[in-house]
Amino acid sequence: MDKQMDLLQGTLDMLILKAVSLGPLHGYGILLRIQQISKDRLEIQQGSLYPALYRLEHQGWIASEWGESENKRKAKYYRLTAAGKRKLQTEAEKWNRMADVIAGVLRSTPEEV
Amino acid sequence: MWSRIRSWLRSMLRRARMEREMDAELRFHIEAFAEDLVRRGVAREEALRRARIEFGGVERAKEECRDARGISFLESLLQDLRFGLRMLRKNPGFTAVAVLTLGLGIGANTAVFTVVNGVLLRPMPFPEANRLFLVSLTPRGGPFEWQPGVADHDYLAFLGQDRAFEQIASFSRGSTVNLTGAGDPAQIPVAYVTTDFFSTLRTNPEIGRGFLAGEGEPGNDNVAILANELWKERFGSDSEILGKAIRLDGVSRTVVGIMPPGFAFPGVSVWMPLSVRINEHNSFTRPVVGRLKPRVTPQQAQAELETFAERLPLGPGESKRDRLPQILPLKDLLVANIRPSLLLFAGAVAFVLLIACANVANLFLARATGRVQEMAVRSTLGADRCRLVRQLLAESTLISLIGGGAGILLAFWSLQALTALAPAGKVPRMEMIRIDPWVLAFTFGLSVITGVVFGLAPAFHATGDGARESLGQAARNVIGGHEGIRSALTISEMALALILLTGAGLMLKSFLRLQAVNPGFSPHSVMTLTVDLPDSRYRTANQLQGFDRQTLAELSRLPGVLAAGAVNWIPLGQGLAMGTFQVEGGLRPPGFMVDKPCVSPGYFRAMGMPLVRGREFAGSDNATAPGVAIVSQSVARTLWPGQDPIGKRISMEDNPKPEDWLTVVGAVDDVKQQGLAKNSEPAIYQSYLQVASPGFLSHMTFVVRTALSPESVTAGMRAVLRNVDNNQPVSIASMDSLMATTTAEPRFQARLLATFALVALALTIVGIYGVLAYSVAQRTREIGVRMALGAQSVDVLLMLLKQALLFIAAGIVLGGAGALALTRVLTRFLFQVKPGDLPTFAAVALVLTFSALGACYLPARRAMRVDPMVALRYE
Repeated sequence: MDKQMDLLQGTLDMLILKAVSLGPLHGYGILLRIQQISKDRLEIQQGSLYPALYRLEHQGWIASEWGESENKRKAKYYRLTAAGKRKLQTEAEKWNRMADVIAGVLRSTPEEV
Repeated sequence: MWSRIRSWLRSMLRRARMEREMDAELRFHIEAFAEDLVRRGVAREEALRRARIEFGGVERAKEECRDARGISFLESLLQDLRFGLRMLRKNPGFTAVAVLTLGLGIGANTAVFTVVNGVLLRPMPFPEANRLFLVSLTPRGGPFEWQPGVADHDYLAFLGQDRAFEQIASFSRGSTVNLTGAGDPAQIPVAYVTTDFFSTLRTNPEIGRGFLAGEGEPGNDNVAILANELWKERFGSDSEILGKAIRLDGVSRTVVGIMPPGFAFPGVSVWMPLSVRINEHNSFTRPVVGRLKPRVTPQQAQAELETFAERLPLGPGESKRDRLPQILPLKDLLVANIRPSLLLFAGAVAFVLLIACANVANLFLARATGRVQEMAVRSTLGADRCRLVRQLLAESTLISLIGGGAGILLAFWSLQALTALAPAGKVPRMEMIRIDPWVLAFTFGLSVITGVVFGLAPAFHATGDGARESLGQAARNVIGGHEGIRSALTISEMALALILLTGAGLMLKSFLRLQAVNPGFSPHSVMTLTVDLPDSRYRTANQLQGFDRQTLAELSRLPGVLAAGAVNWIPLGQGLAMGTFQVEGGLRPPGFMVDKPCVSPGYFRAMGMPLVRGREFAGSDNATAPGVAIVSQSVARTLWPGQDPIGKRISMEDNPKPEDWLTVVGAVDDVKQQGLAKNSEPAIYQSYLQVASPGFLSHMTFVVRTALSPESVTAGMRAVLRNVDNNQPVSIASMDSLMATTTAEPRFQARLLATFALVALALTIVGIYGVLAYSVAQRTREIGVRMALGAQSVDVLLMLLKQALLFIAAGIVLGGAGALALTRVLTRFLFQVKPGDLPTFAAVALVLTFSALGACYLPARRAMRVDPMVALRYE
């Protein structure tokens, strides 16, 4: 699948949490990390990334601090908080359950129904 | 939650820093992105440009970030308010009109709510007043239904078995005593209360003690407790008063306590002990107050009372359905009668506010037209509709809050007028009426709601779909849609005004009908002097008659006096003595009771009651002469239809002895005894000299008909009373003013409703004027074109008139229907007028039509003077 997919509603938060769970990142880094782990298959509106970050920080799932970037510039780094970790876990479980159910439904054959 | 609040607080405190950081963060993102592109070989300039495009709207992202922070709402609210304030300052005329209109509406509502709050809502001034209830077992229907009370024998039985109440007390009110020996003699309202009364209310005397058990018993009851105000006014706050004796009705009573300031329940200045005992002949029905036990609900108490009422033995001819067991809030004792009219005023004044809202909404709509461009620009720059609506609502709320402030000032002044105009003594708990925090909260809430209500339609219209497209077009082209709303608002305004006017018209007509009622006597040029003679000094009928005789003789010698007389219960006064009687050789129709006034010779002349047959009483109709009576016309007609009543014999005794029979010597017209709105009472008059029971003679009203102005004999009457017995308080009033007090309540209701209706009418006229003037201004060009094409100014006038008449017709139809539905609530206030009274409806519709047409005058003149050349260049 080469084409980029639009992001499902509400999944951006989860992807951000996942991205920063691997280590502190700045906003642009998060964007790159998501593109990297999704092998460029997910399209993220850059404008919507920052409101999501601010929202997650406001909810206490991620925290931010200013640091120095790879090219020696001041950048704001985000990291996962303990609450964020729990949130990511429950969200991931929920997502997997949901995916199983949906997949099961789509797999069903006429005989099973 | 905590992190949210902290983040919110932090962002509030370091707003500027956060903005800086946000800028830096986004700049970093774009530059980092651009650098990646540069690394892939894109030129630096081009890379930055592409990065920016890729990122999308920076401002929009920032706005969303602020939203995400949760600071945005309050911040943008402040911003909106600041901006709103600036807009309002820029249009002082617009602001003034809107604030005044809303101030009028909100102020009137605040004033009425202040009265409602004070009289109906504020708790009684006792500790835990919400546990205090009235116990009532009154006869169902009839005149006593609204006078909660329990008959003495039922009260005693209830005391024995009640389990719902912690404490119960009975009390009687409505009587007065003469206070002598402390300044001028004065009539003081008193209450007789059982000894538990004060502890039931949990209010103890400030000085001294309450009543002790057994203090109500005969021989042990000469004690009294005084109200703080009476103690201050009459006894100069004498700190040594406890144990001293004061004279009430000539009896000396020892003061044992002074109540705290403000305590006057149930509207009295002196309390005396009462012991409830069963008396074979008389059973009083008095109010009973009880304090519910903790955790007992009024519903449980009601159930208990119902069970109790079920088990009560029935009197002769009584059925269980006759009794109405009720547990009522204590306040009802004072306010049950006034509640309907207060609620009526509250309803009427809400209409005024609605009309004010419609007016201001129209103003806002007109202004919104001028701001379509502004809205279009802002919406193109990325403001979403919600944000624009919010900003316009902030503006309208700001205006209505300022209007609310003006309203409180207005309420403050109009309250004084309102309480001064209110019928004296008819509004209970007047002392509770004041602007308190509840009133302020009410006004604040009302202002906010008002701002949203009148701001909503204009806000949505100004930001509607048209707004975005109108950028670059002439604003005039997109305002067509407002016309519909403006018309709807104007029509509903007229309908609301019509409903109010109809209500006021009905009340006014009813009041005029009441004023025109012939009371059966001629009240002009008549002065009255009322005395309540205490039985300590006037024990026998002889002593009372002596007082009356001397007073009458001296009164009739006053200069200018044409006739003087006396009666025990004056028509339209406070009391009456109804009763049965016997007819010689005939049967009294069942249920036929008569009023039994005792009058002096000269009474009928002094009152201007025409003698229809026979003769008046004379001084010789005394205790030694044969008994005589004078009957009213309706008595004669009922008892002896078609016959001459003169010479017939009747008796007031149930089992008359030969000397008890009274011979009818005359007949007079019927008079209104109980009230102008009531039927005339059939009456049998007796000569006061032939009445042996002192109870019928102690209360007397002397009436004097004068040739001079009635007030000029006042000094003479005062001197006469002082001369005969200077221990009696002076109570002199003209008959006209006595009659005016009986119609004071309907007069007040009619006046107040008429005031509201006139305010409503004025607002409506202003509203119609505004809409038409606006419409003319908008159509100047169209009118100019028409005139250039040969239309006459008459055609233009007709065009405008057509629009106005359409409004009027729609308003009258809608308002008429509304009035028909709503004036039904007036039924209980109306006298001889039906709520659907056609003449009133027609008259009110005419008034509204002409006022509305009057409002058209200026806009029409302007339209007719439109100069085609000027109009065509108008742009």
